[in-house]
Amino acid sequence: MALLEVQNLKQHFTTKKGFMGEKTVIKAVDGVSLSIEEGKTLGVVGESGCGKSSLGRSILRLVEPTEGSVKFNGQEIVGMSPRGMKELRKEMQIVFQDPYASLNPRNTVRKILEAPLLIHGTGNKKERQERIESLAGKIGLRKEQLNNYPHEFSGGQRQRIGIARALMLNPKLIIADEPVSALDVSVQSQVLNLMLDLQQERNLSYMFISHDLSVVQHVSDKVAVMYLGKVVEIADVKKVYKDPLHPYTRALLSALPIPDPVRVRNRIILQGDLPSPANPPPGCPFHTRCPMATKECAEIVPPLEEKTTDHFAACIHT
Amino acid sequence: MDALRFIAKRLLLMIPILIGISILTFAISNTIPGDPARLILGPKATPEGLEALREDMGLNDPLYVQYGRYMAGIFQGDLGESTYSQRPVADDLIRYSPATFELTIFAMVITLLIGIPFGIISASRKDKIADQFTRIFALLGVAMPAFWLGLLLLLFFYLRLGVFPGSGRLDNGMSPPDYITGMYTVDALLTGNWPVFISAVMHLVLPGITLSAVTVGMITRMTRSSMLTVLQSDYIRTAYAKGAPENRVLYGHALRNGVMPVITLLGMAFGHALGGSVLVEAVFSWPGLGQYAVNAINYLDFPAVMGVTLLIAIMFILVNLIVDTMYFFIDPRLKHN
Amino acid sequence: MLLEVNDLSLSLKRAGKYSKILDGISFQVAQGETLGIVGESGCGKSMTALSLMQLLPDKARLGGKVDLQGEQITSFSKRKLEKIRGNQMSMIFQDPLTSLNPLHTVGTQVEESLILHTKKSKQERRDRVLHLLRAVGLPRAEELIDEYPHQLSGGMRQRVMIAIAMACEPQLLICDEPTTALDVTVQAQILELMNDIKRQTKMGIIMITHDMGVVAEVCDRVIVMYAGKIVEEAPVIELFQNPKHPYTQGLLDSIPKLGERKKKLGSIPGTVPTPGNMPAGCRFADRCIHAMDICRSTLPPMINIQENHQTACWLYDEKEAKNDGSARSTELETALHN
Repeated sequence: MALLEVQNLKQHFTTKKGFMGEKTVIKAVDGVSLSIEEGKTLGVVGESGCGKSSLGRSILRLVEPTEGSVKFNGQEIVGMSPRGMKELRKEMQIVFQDPYASLNPRNTVRKILEAPLLIHGTGNKKERQERIESLAGKIGLRKEQLNNYPHEFSGGQRQRIGIARALMLNPKLIIADEPVSALDVSVQSQVLNLMLDLQQERNLSYMFISHDLSVVQHVSDKVAVMYLGKVVEIADVKKVYKDPLHPYTRALLSALPIPDPVRVRNRIILQGDLPSPANPPPGCPFHTRCPMATKECAEIVPPLEEKTTDHFAACIHT
Repeated sequence: MDALRFIAKRLLLMIPILIGISILTFAISNTIPGDPARLILGPKATPEGLEALREDMGLNDPLYVQYGRYMAGIFQGDLGESTYSQRPVADDLIRYSPATFELTIFAMVITLLIGIPFGIISASRKDKIADQFTRIFALLGVAMPAFWLGLLLLLFFYLRLGVFPGSGRLDNGMSPPDYITGMYTVDALLTGNWPVFISAVMHLVLPGITLSAVTVGMITRMTRSSMLTVLQSDYIRTAYAKGAPENRVLYGHALRNGVMPVITLLGMAFGHALGGSVLVEAVFSWPGLGQYAVNAINYLDFPAVMGVTLLIAIMFILVNLIVDTMYFFIDPRLKHN
Repeated sequence: MLLEVNDLSLSLKRAGKYSKILDGISFQVAQGETLGIVGESGCGKSMTALSLMQLLPDKARLGGKVDLQGEQITSFSKRKLEKIRGNQMSMIFQDPLTSLNPLHTVGTQVEESLILHTKKSKQERRDRVLHLLRAVGLPRAEELIDEYPHQLSGGMRQRVMIAIAMACEPQLLICDEPTTALDVTVQAQILELMNDIKRQTKMGIIMITHDMGVVAEVCDRVIVMYAGKIVEEAPVIELFQNPKHPYTQGLLDSIPKLGERKKKLGSIPGTVPTPGNMPAGCRFADRCIHAMDICRSTLPPMINIQENHQTACWLYDEKEAKNDGSARSTELETALHN
């Protein structure tokens, strides 16, 4: 059984447009199904507005999902009581993109790390401090540094503090929302290494949300590619990167600038821009930019089908 | 089209706001201790006489009945009768409000003509002498109490130098221009009555400056900080990168962007000036709404207080509506959003 | 030579005192060549670009010499600079939304360069604007000309920025992270457009980026910057295949590569020194695994590795390498080739 099992999850937002308030429904997440195995990483990639961040928040019920089911360890969490959720939140934590904005600037790192333990009433004072110090060592902070404030750290250190905070309660699953996007490459690699080490050591599961294809490829076991609120392809990372089935995945991969000047590029340049999530095209959401699109694509919403073993794609042409 | 719908919506929104304000004022003025009937009849009134007058004025009815009666009257253009002047409140408002509007509008013109250019100069010469001078000037404007500034101006320009008149709206013995709007300057202009126009303007100068001191300060500071933010923005850098000279960048690119938050503040400043006119009118014996309101309060003249409050509220809302509508013509982002 | 930069330095006033942001920057750009400037945040790459354009804050102190087409523009008056900005040299910025004036139409903003630098009539300007919009791959140019930036997508806005920069056919185009704010598929479109422009014109281009992928795609030659100094300069293939400076090596090592999963990535310990607290010697010494004594005491000069390839590192100084025992540098070489 998978650790996390998401079925047909929907996250719709209603917004008023302009002054006059014509209501528009934005289908940020529109029927997503996926699962994460224990100790594994699911990468979620897509461009801005594809709904990958909303998906993460929806799973943790940081925003209440509109529809669908999220099972953690077999337990349904959509509609679960606040008390039950509080217990479950120990098991599922989130790490955000901007480490500075998500750490309280008025608290020392020690306090920041202690907060989750206090909220959940874990351990006595001594045990808490031991736990904080051992995790601090893990993320490369010296004991004295625990009494410093977030602004005294570099971006990479702050992100590592964010990760340590997420780990304080010994979660099984961490949803990491663009955890390295704000960092320089040399620092980004430190954070990625740390995340991979911790995964091995604690058998953690990650949902790794990112727009960066090479980072996702590096950390993931399975990858879900999202476009306008829908998963268009999901499979083992090697399959997705070596043999992408969905034309969007192909275009996305070919668009990635490769740090190798001698490599010959065979690029699929997509025409146009991402449609607005508030006004997605009918049929296949990708058909307006798809090089393979035919008449049917504008009419049929392609289901996510198993094209080859364990390789799912939502396209009627592959 | 969108702008029209926006205006219509905002006008509709005025109704609940005004009802709210009227309930509030009505409730407050009726809970203040004091008996209008006694004030009218004086200390020697008999209890029977007082009771009869109270009954006659409807003061014995429950508050909501009084309020209902008042509101029913409003929709027929009847704001009740002033217990002090013994005239319909509506007539009094028509009589006194033009003086106040004239003074307030004059103060707003000064505010615009001084505040925005000073703000721009201050921002474009940041930390230079012109900036320091403007900032001190603006701070003084905001910090100086209006009555004190008014007295200083009177002392200097009226008593000492005698260059500006110190009270009233026209020179003694001069008769007002034919009534068109009730604002002497406007009416004099419309009828081509130059001597009256000049006298009216001269009379506006000192109270106008006094009333605008705070708003000039507000607008100068706002313009400065808003322009400074805009001058830091990326599109200003783009303009320089195109090779645009400084003045072109300042007036062609920064000004319109920088003035936008100032426009919002203008609506607030207008409200501030309307409120401030009460004091300024007292200092300069300006026969306007402010003086009328002060009297009304002194004599517990509830219908008059209500009338003034509602009129000022309507003016304030209308001015802010005009301000918000201006955005439609300045900021294209609102048109297409 | 189209552009020659000689010993450029820049000091900015921060918290009351001046600190050096750029130090001893020298490089050249030839006609038709694309020079990449890479480095991580705070290395001074954007400031280098702004120094070339002389679009600096009020109290900036600029030193050194910049020659554009043989004219020393660092000694130009304000008015003369205005004549070459947007005309002989143009710049494209990172964030296309904030870089366009929200209250002016697309047409007005592209036209402005033409008003400033040409004597074209109104009709001629309009024709040229339409031509430019089409040339940068924007659809329905006739309508677009009257639209506002907020009505366009990110990719379209960046195309408008490129049209503005190209309006007067500059000899030098400076691009500061032009695709960083864009999505991958849109980035690919813009890079394609840049490569088209490269082929069609003889412009020299300076491409400032933190993305080694972008460097590999569009640059001919690359400068690597660290803490306000140039640490390595080489042709693009040479730089990727034979990086010499430990910082360049660390940078290339830390990028996740396709096909290498969950492998430990290289990383550079420590943090960049801040302006005002620069060490006396090599600025990378504190984070460098190969640091020798001399690295901490004396700034390394640019050392020629081969023609066109230079690096500022004592490891490649023959005398120093010998003094310190050649074991270290062989160790480095082997580490590199594994």
